[in-house]
Amino acid sequence: MDNTEKKLAVWICKGCDIGESLDVEALEKVASDEYKVELVSSHEFLCGDEGVGQIKEQIKEGANTLVIAGCSPRFQTDTFTFDGCLTERVNLREFVVWSHEPNAEDTQMMGEDYLRMGIVRAQKSELPEPFEAEIDKTVLVVGGGHSGMTAALESAKAGYEVVLVEKEDQLGGWLTKTTRLFPKTPPYREAEIVDLEARVKEIEDNDRITIYTSSTIEKIDGQPGQFDVSLKANGNGAGQQFRAGAIVQATGWKPYDASKLGHLGYGTCANVITNVQMEEMASAGEIKRPSDGKPAKNIVFVQCAGSRDKEHLPYCSAVCCRVSLKQALWARELDPDAQAFVLYKDIRAPGQYEDYYKRAQEDPGIFFTKGEVVSVKEASGNDLVVDVEDTLIDKHIQVEADLVVLATGMVPNAADGEAIRKFRDAQGVVAKGEEGAQLETAKVTIEEMAEYEGTEILNLDYRQGPDLPMLKYDFPDSHFICFPYESRRTGIYPTGAMRAPNDMDTCREDATGAAIKAIQCMELASQGKAMHPRWGDQSYPDFFLQRCTQCKRCTEECPFGTINEDEKGTPAPNITRCRRCGICLGACPERIISFKDYSVEIISSMIKAVEVPDEWDEKPRLLGFVCENDAYPALDAAGFKRLQHSEWIRFIPVRCLGSINVVWIADALAQGFDGILLIGCKSGDDYQCHFIRGSELMGTRSGNIQEKLKQLALEDERVQVEQLEIMDHEKLVEVVNAFSEEIDDIGMNPFKGL
Amino acid sequence: MPDPYVVRPDSKFLGRLLAEGGEDAKKCFQCATCSVVCDVSDGGPAFPRKEMIWTQWGLKDRLMADPDVWLCHRCNDCSTHCPRGARPGDVMAAVRREHIFHYAFPGFLARWLNQPKLLPLMLLIPTVLLGLAFLAKDSVQSALSMSTYSTTRIIYSYSVWFPQWLLIGFFLLFSGLALLAVLIGVGRFWGALKAADARDGAGKPIKSLFASIGSTFKKILAHESFTKCTTEHRQFLPHLYIFYGFFALFLVSLWTMTAKYNPLIPGTFVYPFSFFSPWRMLANIGGLALLVGCLMMMWARLGGVSGEDKRTNSQSTYFDWAFITTLLLVTLTGFASEVLHYARLEPHRHLVYFIHLVLVLTLLMYLPYSKFAHMMYRTAAMVYADYTGRTGVAPAVVAAPAIAAPVSDGTAVDAPVADEPAAEESAAEAPASEEPASVPGEEK
Repeated sequence: MDNTEKKLAVWICKGCDIGESLDVEALEKVASDEYKVELVSSHEFLCGDEGVGQIKEQIKEGANTLVIAGCSPRFQTDTFTFDGCLTERVNLREFVVWSHEPNAEDTQMMGEDYLRMGIVRAQKSELPEPFEAEIDKTVLVVGGGHSGMTAALESAKAGYEVVLVEKEDQLGGWLTKTTRLFPKTPPYREAEIVDLEARVKEIEDNDRITIYTSSTIEKIDGQPGQFDVSLKANGNGAGQQFRAGAIVQATGWKPYDASKLGHLGYGTCANVITNVQMEEMASAGEIKRPSDGKPAKNIVFVQCAGSRDKEHLPYCSAVCCRVSLKQALWARELDPDAQAFVLYKDIRAPGQYEDYYKRAQEDPGIFFTKGEVVSVKEASGNDLVVDVEDTLIDKHIQVEADLVVLATGMVPNAADGEAIRKFRDAQGVVAKGEEGAQLETAKVTIEEMAEYEGTEILNLDYRQGPDLPMLKYDFPDSHFICFPYESRRTGIYPTGAMRAPNDMDTCREDATGAAIKAIQCMELASQGKAMHPRWGDQSYPDFFLQRCTQCKRCTEECPFGTINEDEKGTPAPNITRCRRCGICLGACPERIISFKDYSVEIISSMIKAVEVPDEWDEKPRLLGFVCENDAYPALDAAGFKRLQHSEWIRFIPVRCLGSINVVWIADALAQGFDGILLIGCKSGDDYQCHFIRGSELMGTRSGNIQEKLKQLALEDERVQVEQLEIMDHEKLVEVVNAFSEEIDDIGMNPFKGL
Repeated sequence: MPDPYVVRPDSKFLGRLLAEGGEDAKKCFQCATCSVVCDVSDGGPAFPRKEMIWTQWGLKDRLMADPDVWLCHRCNDCSTHCPRGARPGDVMAAVRREHIFHYAFPGFLARWLNQPKLLPLMLLIPTVLLGLAFLAKDSVQSALSMSTYSTTRIIYSYSVWFPQWLLIGFFLLFSGLALLAVLIGVGRFWGALKAADARDGAGKPIKSLFASIGSTFKKILAHESFTKCTTEHRQFLPHLYIFYGFFALFLVSLWTMTAKYNPLIPGTFVYPFSFFSPWRMLANIGGLALLVGCLMMMWARLGGVSGEDKRTNSQSTYFDWAFITTLLLVTLTGFASEVLHYARLEPHRHLVYFIHLVLVLTLLMYLPYSKFAHMMYRTAAMVYADYTGRTGVAPAVVAAPAIAAPVSDGTAVDAPVADEPAAEESAAEAPASEEPASVPGEEK
C-alpha cells in the first residue's frame, strides 16, 4: 500500500487529565489545518466501548491509518489494534500532560509537536507484510545426555519431529558413568538409582525422534526454520542431511583439568583423585586406594577444589557439594568402617537439599569442617596428610587420609564462535597470500589462538562465527538479565550444564525451557514474526543493495549474526535470524536499510515536523532519542509518578540506541535543535541492553559524532549519550532536566533558522 | 606458632557422647548462635560452639582439656536458641560427665556408677559397708574402749544402734577417701588444662592463685553466674537453696561431730538437740531449703509449666537423675527420721535412719564419680579461668598486636595469649577506670 491509498483518521482522547490540561481544539486544528486530515475527532474516554466503536465506524468507512493521541503506546495496545490498519500512538498522557504544567503555553506547544510527529510517522509508515518462507518444524537436539534427552522427549511430546545427534556410541552422557544420583524428590534423604535403560527406551520408542549416535555435525547452513544440517561422514549418521527448524544445544560438560591442581596433590600423590574418579569407583562397588588397591578407610573430600578461585574456575559449579555428600554417604554404606571428612568453604545444598545435608550430618562417621585446604602431601608411604587453615576446630589442623577426593568443577562443552571466526579469518588472510602488516597480524593471531583449531561444535555457516558467542567464564552468551532462556543466535538454544553448571533437576527444567523456546521460534517464524524482545513483530529489514558499498558494518555490528556475506562482501541477510532491532539501519552510512514502519526517512521526517522556535523566543528545543526497552518505560514511570521534566524536550522512541543513524543527528542540528540526548540501556559486562550491544555501539559512534560537532564548530555537550536501567525513572528526569540547564547555559544552536 | 593440630577422631568416645546427651549433636552446623547467646561465655574463648564441633569430631583430647565446659552453668539459653535443635546445653553436660569419668580415680567406679543396671550393686556396696560397721560395732567398741551413751539416759536417740563415734569415724573415713580421690581427679584435670594451654603458648597466670580462689568463692557464694543467664533465672533459686541448704546441714553436722570436744557447747551435751535450739532450727531450715531446691530442679527437668519452662528442649540423662534423686531421698529420709523420732515409732525409725545413712554414704563416697563432683571440677575450672585470665578478655583477634591496657596506675596487664589484645577490661585486674573501654589499637 503506498501513500496515496492512505486514509488518515486522527483521534484525541480527552481522558486521564488530557482534556483538562491541553487545548484539544487547537490540537485538532493542527491535524486538520497543517496536515489536511479530514477525519479529526476527540473523545472523553477513547478506550471505552463507545470510543472504540466510533473508531471502528470510521474504519468501516475507509479509514486505514489511525493516529491515536492519548496514553502511552505501552497501554491499551490491544484496544487500539485493528486488522488491516496502521496505528500510530501519540503519547500525550505520560510524556506531556502528566509531566508538565497544565494549560501552559509550553505544554501546549509540546502536545502539538508530538501530534505533528505522530501524523508524519503515520503518513510515512507502511503496514508490515510478513516475511514468507517455508519453515521446517523439526527440532535438532545436539547432545544426547540428560538435558538433550529431556529436550528431545519434551519436543516430541509436544508434537514436533526431533533429530537427536550424539557423539558417543550410546545415549546418556554422564548418566552412563554412575549408578547413583543425589535425590531429586522429597524427603531428599536417599540417593536415587540411575535407570538409564528406561529413559533411552522411551526415546527409542518415540516415533518422532530420530537418533544418530557416534555422530557429530559437519555443517549447518541457513536460518531458523531453514537449517540445512549435514552430519559428518563417520559414525552412524554417516553423511545424513536434513532440515531443521530450531536447534537445542545440549552438549554438556567436562570436568575441570585436575592436573592443574598440583598444590592439592593431584598428579604427584597416587591417592589423590577427582570426584569423577570417585564416582566411577563407588559405582563399581568398592572404594580402593589407587596406590595399592586396599580399601580406603579415611577419605577426605576437598570441596571447591579449583573452584571459586581466581587462578582456576572463578565460579561455583553448583553440584559438587551435593555430589560429595552423596559420595560420603555412599562410601560409608559400602564400608561402615570407613570415615569421611568433608572440608568445605561453604556447604551449598540449596533449597530443600538442606535436608540432604542434614542426612549426611546424622552419620557419625562423616565429619564436617569449614576451612581453607592449604596443601595435600604424602606422609608415610602413600598415606596423605591434608593441611587446613582457619577451620572451625582450630587455626591450623591436619587431617590424616588414605584417599583424598578433590571436588572439581564443571567446564562447558561449548565452542567460542567468535574466537574461532577470528582464527579462521587470520588463516584466510594467510591463505589468500596477503602481504605486509595484515599478514604479520594474521600470523600472530594464528599463533595466539591456535587452541581454537578444531573446536567447532555446531559448524554454523554464519559470517560471525560457527558457534554461539561466549559470555562469562566460557559459557555461551544469553540475555541473562532480561531473559535467560534466549541466546545470541535466534533459533539456537543452549541448555543444561553447557549453559550453566547445574544439577540434573534444574537441567531437566532448563532443557524443557529450551524445547519451548525452539518451538516458539519455529512457530513465530512460520508467521513471519520476530522473537524476544520484539515478540510478534512482522516488520523486517529491507536492503537496497544497489547502493551498498560493502563497508560490512551491518554484517559486523548485528548482534545476532543475521547477515552473511558473499565473496565481494555484499551482505546477505537471513531474516528469520533477525530480531528487528535496527542496529544495521543505524550502522549503514549509505542508509540503504529500512523497515516498513521504521526507517531513516520516517525518523528524519519526524524530526523535521517539530516546530522549532527561532532564537528570539528564547525557547530552546532538545531532541531525546529513547530506546523502547528501558528508557521509554522509565519515562512512562516518571510520568505516572508525575515527575516533571523540561518542557523543551521532544522524545522520539527508537528500537535501540544502536539503530540511531548518525544522519538523524545532522538533521536535528540542521532543524535547529539545540541539544540531542540519547538514552538507552546499560552496556558492559552485566549489560542490560535487550539487543546486547546497542548502547555500546552508540557509545562508540558518539566518538564520530563528537568529531562532526567539532567540524561544525559546535560544543560537544550538545550531543550526549546516557545509559540507565528501567527502574531509574527518577534519575532519568534529573538527567533530562540537567541536560536542559546545560544547553541553556551553552546557548542557542547557531544554525537555528538558517 | 603452635604446631598444627592433628585431628584424630575417637569413635568410641564420640559414640558415648552421641548416646547420652549428644543425640542431636551432629545437627549443629556451627552458626555460633549458642555462643552469642551464652551470657556466661563472655569475653573469653567462646563456648559452646567449639565444644559442639569437637564433639562432632570425637576430639577427646581437646574436650578433656577444656575448662569452658565447667564455666557453663547449664542455663539452657543455648539450646533454646539453637536453630537446628542440636541441644548444645545437653552436649556440654555430656562432656562434663565424660570429664568426671576420665579424671576419676579409680576410673572404673565412675563407669559402673553410670550404668543403670548396676544400680543395685552400687547401692549394695554402701549398704553392706554400713551394715558391717554396725554389726561389728560392739567388737570395735570394746577394742577401742569407746563409750556409748547408756540407753537409760537418752532412749529416743539413734545413738544406741548408731553410736556417734562410729558414725563420725566411718563417715570421716569414707569422706576422706572420697575427698582424696576427687582431689586426685581435680589434680589431673588441672594438669591437663595447664598442659593444653602450654602447648598453645597460653595460660600464663595473671594473678596469684589465692586471689583467684578468693574471687571464685565470692562468685560462687553470690551465685553470680546463675544470674547472668536470662532464660533460666529459675536455676538461680533452686541451686541457691540446694547449695545453702546443704551448707547449713554440713555446718550443723560439723558442729555435732565436734560436740563432745567443743568448748562452745555449754554443759552436758544432749543429743539430739531440742527442736527449738538454733542448731536444730538451722538444720531444719537447711533441710527444707534442700527439699524445695531439689523439687524445683526436678520440676524443671521434667519440663515444668508448659509453655513457660525453657528446659523443654533439653533431655536429662541417668547421670543427671541419679544425683538429684539421691539428694532428694537423703532429704526425705532425713526428715522422715526426724518425724519418726518424735513419733517414737519402733522399729521404723531405725530402719529409715539406716536408709538415710546409706544414702548419705552413697552421696559422699561416690562424690568423685557422680555428678556431685561438679562441686570440685567447676570450682577448679572457675579458679583456673580466673587465674589465667581466660574470662573477661576481649575475644582473640588474629594478628592484632598485644597492647598493654591503658591503665593509669601503671599496672600492666600481662596479656596471657600472644594474639589476644590486652583488655578492654580484664575482669579482676583493671581498676575501674573512668575511661570508656578502649578499642585495641587506640592510642592513649
